[in-house]
Amino acid sequence: MIKLKIDDNEYPENLRKIKRPPKQLYLKGNIELLKKLGIAIIGSRKCTKYGEKMAIKFAKELSQYNLTIISGMAEGIDSFAHIGSIEAYGSTIAVLPSGFNNIYPEKNIELYKKIIQNGGLVISEYDEDNKAKSEQFLERNRIISGLAIGTLIIEGGYRSGTSVTAKLTKEENKYIFCIPSSLENSKGIVPNQLIKEGAFLVTEVEDIISKYPNLNLVKKKIKNSNVHIDIVNNEYKNIYDILDKEKALNINEIAKITRLDISEISYKLMMLELEDKIVSLPGNNFKIK
Amino acid sequence: MTSNIKTISLNGIEGNLVEVQIDISSGLPSFEIVGLPDTSVKESKERIKVAIKNSGIQFPSRKIIVNLAPADTKKEGTSYDLPIAVAILLSLNEILEKNLENTIFIGELSLNGKINHINGVLPMCIEAHNLGIKRVILPKSNEREAAVIKELEVIGVNSLTEVVQYLNKTKIINGIKVDILKEFNKQEKEQLDFSEVKGQENVKRALEISAAGGHNCLLIGPPGAGKTMLAKRIPTILPDLTFEEALEVTKIHSILGILDNDVGIITKRPFRNPHHTTSLTSMIGGGKIPKPGEISLAHNGVLFLDELPEFNRNTLEILREPLEDKNIVISRLYSKVIYPSNFILIASMNPCPCGYYGSSEKQCKCSENAIKRYLNKISGPLLDRIDLHIDVKPVKYEKLEGKEKIETSNQIKERVNAARRIQYIRYKKLKIFSNSQLTPKMVEQYCYLNKECKKILELAFNKIGLSARAYTRILKVARTIADLNGEENIQKQHLAEAIQYRTLDRKYGDKF
Repeated sequence: MIKLKIDDNEYPENLRKIKRPPKQLYLKGNIELLKKLGIAIIGSRKCTKYGEKMAIKFAKELSQYNLTIISGMAEGIDSFAHIGSIEAYGSTIAVLPSGFNNIYPEKNIELYKKIIQNGGLVISEYDEDNKAKSEQFLERNRIISGLAIGTLIIEGGYRSGTSVTAKLTKEENKYIFCIPSSLENSKGIVPNQLIKEGAFLVTEVEDIISKYPNLNLVKKKIKNSNVHIDIVNNEYKNIYDILDKEKALNINEIAKITRLDISEISYKLMMLELEDKIVSLPGNNFKIK
Repeated sequence: MTSNIKTISLNGIEGNLVEVQIDISSGLPSFEIVGLPDTSVKESKERIKVAIKNSGIQFPSRKIIVNLAPADTKKEGTSYDLPIAVAILLSLNEILEKNLENTIFIGELSLNGKINHINGVLPMCIEAHNLGIKRVILPKSNEREAAVIKELEVIGVNSLTEVVQYLNKTKIINGIKVDILKEFNKQEKEQLDFSEVKGQENVKRALEISAAGGHNCLLIGPPGAGKTMLAKRIPTILPDLTFEEALEVTKIHSILGILDNDVGIITKRPFRNPHHTTSLTSMIGGGKIPKPGEISLAHNGVLFLDELPEFNRNTLEILREPLEDKNIVISRLYSKVIYPSNFILIASMNPCPCGYYGSSEKQCKCSENAIKRYLNKISGPLLDRIDLHIDVKPVKYEKLEGKEKIETSNQIKERVNAARRIQYIRYKKLKIFSNSQLTPKMVEQYCYLNKECKKILELAFNKIGLSARAYTRILKVARTIADLNGEENIQKQHLAEAIQYRTLDRKYGDKF
């Protein structure tokens, strides 16, 4: 872990310019990413399927323009933004609302490890033992918007943290991009409202890139990724890990491989299915969705 | 000169007291039986006449009138032979014992004076005991069956002469005693065992749950997957019968006369597997003189229906009420009988006409329509009453060869028994025996879900599209799984596993 004080050389320039820059930063992972251009992707923790798809799609496509994806590693949109970036071999920065000893949310520890493994960076302004508090969630948003050249908002409910980040981005005179949502989608209130107030409506990634003509952003070709990252609850991981995307496995074969009790396996398979991670096929066969 | 003798008639599986009244008076010689006797009772006249004559007693050539009271209910069967004969001999002073207030007589006579076996002795004796009767005199071959009622003095007799001698105290016959505990503890070696089935762990688990909670179970799989083999081994893991349950089972078998005369009581849960050509009446019972059907014979045991869609649709639909009410009411103009039918339904079927739908071994050749028609033979309401749906897949050769240690039936049965004991204690005051018998109101009380579980169930309902009836089914199964684990409350793992067993609602769901 590296600690950076505000007057250190490596301390990111763009963060010094914000209203209340953090006095120190704790970092884990690839700190070179601080020098790269990054864009924030944020949104609701309880996102819809549509939000999930969009977050992954835009994270992937923005990564192709060599932009770092910055987000908060929270549930929902944040997680999917990080995942999309990793899947496209891009770089990603996660800003935590807590110290490194209390990764929040706990179920994203897997993701946290994946980010560091894949050359990403995790940042926190808090001491190691600091626990996540509600005001810290909003505080960390200023770092996200501070590090980024602009913010892409996928989904956000009325009076959510998302709207706070949008406000901060606006104050810093940075661009806000929004994905339009259906009017019936309660998580689409913030992006739709922001569009009404003058944020950029985004239907394709070029809508974002064209707003930064000076940065010379070029799309690089990356080979189609076969990295697949899924955040799975640690409890069911042992079952999930032996399943495959192509070939279905029978419940009895799973029992033979894992040497677990059939009752435990059934329960875990059901939970995985309910969480939309796997599909069950006739004959008690299962594969990854 | 008049005399009265008591006997018991059968109505359904309940006994009723009948008084045989006799009057012998002077007049033209005749022999009349009144009190709504049917043909089989009327014919007893001839048997009685000859049997008395062949016992060395002269039949009186006087006017004999027999009344079977209460005179307004139909009497049928041959069990009135002995009481009528005894009543006549009593009037003739051939029998000296006058104190027969607390004795009942049951039995059929043959022409040479021997006493023949009759059916339904156990329910008669239970009623006799309830009425405060102290002694029964009945055919020798029925004595062990009756001796199950410990408080009764059971006198088994071979012939009419023996009855006369016994009542005149010229011959001593001791009441027979049966040690019921010994019969119950008799450990007969089972022919079949679950350890003979290799692989299929998930099916065994489902059957274990089924046995532990009395849940109905449907096995779906291609031909040769081992569905029948597995089902045939279910009796080896069924929980032991309690005495009350054993009595109920024995009663029904007694009525049909298919009881083992050497044992007297059935100590093992019945396993019935009627063929799919079985008629509606033989399935649920009935007939001119109502008799219990397969579903009642399977009472407190298992009814196994192999190749479920091959059954006549009406035969299957008729199972709906017994599955819900745990009994069947057979109504006739003159009588109404109720037979209990609290059975575990185990059924097996192929997923499609060719049998290979969804199989990885062989391509299914059936058209979408053919599959639909095949599955349609089983109605949604019937399917809703089946708690566990389980896919059975054929075992691969490597596994058949494997030398892995497999659980024996006894190991499974121990867990089943433990789970049943928990249920028995919990439901003691409610007069039910297992989780499957819970009514919706009881489900609310005993299948409490915590917040986490409620969330999972809601998620499952939205995703899988379960019916309202599936809701209580899942809760009951989850309750049983919790009991198998010895847990007081249902946890999320129990609930999730229970949902796993609703295969048909999910995979083939759109086809039904």
